[in-house]
Amino acid sequence: MIGSLHLVARIGGCGVLFDAERVDSVVEVGAVVPAPGASAAVIGLAAMRSRVATVLDVRALLGVARCPEEKRREGGRAVATIVDGHLYAIAVDSLEDVSTFQLGAAPAGLDTAGDWDFVTGIGEGQHETLLALDVDRLVVRASALV
Amino acid sequence: MDDLLQEFIAETRETLEALSGEIVGWEADPSDRARLDSIFRFVHTIKGSCGFLDLPRLARLSHAAEDALAAVRGGDRVPDSALVSAILAIIDRIGDLVEAIDAGESLDDGGEALLIAALDAAPAATGAVAPSTPALPDAAALAAAAQRPGHKRSVRLSVDLLDRMMSGVSDMVLARNQLARHLRQIEDPRLEAMLERLSLSVDELRDTVTRTRMQRVEALFSALPRLARDSAASLGKSVTLVIEGGDVELDREMIELLRDPLVHIVRNAVDHGLEDRADRILAGKPGTGELRVVARQAGNLIIIDIVDDGRGVDTDRLVAKILRDQPSRAAELRGLDEEARLRLIFEPGLSSRDEVTALSGRGVGMDVVKANVEQAGGRISLVNRPGQGLTVSLEVPLTLAILNAVLVDAAGTRFAVPRQSVDEIVAVDGGAVRVDRVGTGSVVLLRGQRLPMVALGDLLDRAPAEPPRYLAIVSLREGRFALALDGVRDTQELVVKPAAPAVMRAGIYAGQMLPDDGLPILLLDCSGIAAKAGLTFEQAQVQVTAVAAAEAVRALLFLDVDGERRLIVSDAVDRIEKVAAGAVRALAGGTWLTVDGRSVPVWAGQGVVAETVRTVLRLQADGLELAYPVEEAIEIVPLPNDLAPAADPHGVIAGLAVIAGEPLELVDPLALFGALPVATERPLCLLHGSEGAWMEAFLKPTIEQAGYKVVRAIAPGQRAAVALAIDEEADSAPTPALRLSRTRGQPLYRYDRGALIAALKEHRA
Repeated sequence: MIGSLHLVARIGGCGVLFDAERVDSVVEVGAVVPAPGASAAVIGLAAMRSRVATVLDVRALLGVARCPEEKRREGGRAVATIVDGHLYAIAVDSLEDVSTFQLGAAPAGLDTAGDWDFVTGIGEGQHETLLALDVDRLVVRASALV
Repeated sequence: MDDLLQEFIAETRETLEALSGEIVGWEADPSDRARLDSIFRFVHTIKGSCGFLDLPRLARLSHAAEDALAAVRGGDRVPDSALVSAILAIIDRIGDLVEAIDAGESLDDGGEALLIAALDAAPAATGAVAPSTPALPDAAALAAAAQRPGHKRSVRLSVDLLDRMMSGVSDMVLARNQLARHLRQIEDPRLEAMLERLSLSVDELRDTVTRTRMQRVEALFSALPRLARDSAASLGKSVTLVIEGGDVELDREMIELLRDPLVHIVRNAVDHGLEDRADRILAGKPGTGELRVVARQAGNLIIIDIVDDGRGVDTDRLVAKILRDQPSRAAELRGLDEEARLRLIFEPGLSSRDEVTALSGRGVGMDVVKANVEQAGGRISLVNRPGQGLTVSLEVPLTLAILNAVLVDAAGTRFAVPRQSVDEIVAVDGGAVRVDRVGTGSVVLLRGQRLPMVALGDLLDRAPAEPPRYLAIVSLREGRFALALDGVRDTQELVVKPAAPAVMRAGIYAGQMLPDDGLPILLLDCSGIAAKAGLTFEQAQVQVTAVAAAEAVRALLFLDVDGERRLIVSDAVDRIEKVAAGAVRALAGGTWLTVDGRSVPVWAGQGVVAETVRTVLRLQADGLELAYPVEEAIEIVPLPNDLAPAADPHGVIAGLAVIAGEPLELVDPLALFGALPVATERPLCLLHGSEGAWMEAFLKPTIEQAGYKVVRAIAPGQRAAVALAIDEEADSAPTPALRLSRTRGQPLYRYDRGALIAALKEHRA
């Protein structure tokens, strides 16, 4: 079985994989304008060239603490992706690598039929297990976050 | 009109291309319903467009084909091969004609009548179909067309390409702004001049590119006045068209998709909705129908309302009609609620009308309209007010629009509010408004009106808001409220795009915008805010009705024969009439107007010279008539509530009213009648039953001429000499009644003036 190309990133300390096919670009997010009342995962809006991206913080979905409010506004690294015609920037701590991974099945303990349905499998990184994320489901979950 | 024609040609050409596969498929299997429907839609759309583009030959062809196809759809005809080839011959011919129109050439109409005849002949004589060899324009003609001067050329582009072009230009604008900021620090005049030039051409480019993608909604509405007028004229109706909200710019794609549905709906409204003039008066409405087309933005939707004040939809007839065609659905139809019954209008092949008119054919394919709107991702909804009219609302998603927006600060962030929904912005410390805390919320007192106040910070559970510095008075259809603001920046025309679902969840945003400074802005949805804040607007509605009731008294301002401007309550004036020279004469100690073979007393109080009178106000009250001579009628004005009483309580001047700063005398019509010589007592004619108002409107002059006084009800102590009633109500009249018939040809048909006078005179004798 031939593996596929993935982007290795770190979100709230967790190592994650994004399918390279679904990543539009890797961006440095500038000033973020807040969108009060929106889903809790929405940090705000940022301009990426002439397009407006919705900046998402998915740490809560991964079970780690959210970034503190003041730090969120500063922007930072993000993975840009288009879901249903809307542009999203998923905030990450850092981007580490692009390489080919063969995904294994997610561990049995993870509820991939329910709350963790955005995890499609796992990849073996350097001395750690990386979670492969499905951006479409991730964005849907993030949009519904209260 | 040229633009419309070009669009029509391009569109027809494109549809024909797409349709050719369907046509072949239908030829192979004439019973294929889906293909039949799409061919029907095509000819139907052609027919619709031809009507107002004035292309009678195309209209004739498409109307004939539509008739035949409708019969097939309705199950009245079987699509045999002869019919199929006749239809195909017509579609070929339509294609040839369209090419000829585009080339600006004429195509001889040889055989068109034959093609149409072939449709009718098809079931009987299969061999008789005139073979149609489409006369394709030869190479020479094509070359000539290409060389024609002034021929407006157009190409079709994919929307995707345009979008990329647009975002490319927007990128360029942002890059220019950045560059400009840096270059200004260098302070080199030569660089600045160069930048200025670049800047101008970038702006120009942006305008042009925006134009390729966006169009004012006006473009959608520009054909409607003519369409409404022509449709109404061909049916002998009259209509006023009111258009609002044409200045919003919309996605061109959306405008194209909405064009046909809108034309259909407007035409439907005129044809099926609005009643004939006489029926309208009978129903107590103004003789001229009103059609309003209103575009507005609400939330992330653009809504176009088409409101008529016609008869509405008779759902009973709709159900009966379907039941007649499809008796098997009786049980299902019985179970429908009113709304579901109304939605039956969207069923394919349905005609809400029994006769077919040249204008809209059969109930004008509301199924076609619905399909088109839904194709645009939109929705169509109806509000039926039986006897009062129908509102059709087209809702399409706001995919892309340019709105005039006010940029404001609130809840620590910058937002945009649509200019359209803001009445005014007031500064709180200016003293014009007062903000009071009431319970957990606040109200604003502005010029005596109390409005609920909404603070975004409170609404979104953020930090308790500081007292607002500004208030935007937001006006919605349901009512008005004040939106608390921390600051107001400026007004900008901005492109609005849909925001992501994660953001729209807040329920208070309509979309997102990106101004030239490169920082995104969220556009607030004012009705969403009102809903989220739980505002109810009952109070505002009560006030509206109160205002409407108080508006009732209007007065006619006129120039009297003595050169004074005076007023008279307009309800007292029956009509303003031009009279022939010599019609007013001083005779028998009084002044008289001779009209329709009768004499009407003329008010001579202002020293009128009888022979010079050319215009009179005809006054009527309680069966008495009077003509008040004037120089000219000027206008109708609302009568102020405060009148200064007149010095002479017995004069004909009721008092003084101040209109636009000028004190004017108000003529008292009762005093005028009081001064008249008492008319001889006339026998009473009672207008009995539910049609009394109609009879009074139409028959009163005739009845009076026959020597009666007209009443709608008998006062105690009075006795009617005769009553008039519509046939079925005659038996309930208190006195013997003359029966009016609704049907022409029956004895005493209600519009037969001569017969009515004769009958009344006979009764009197």
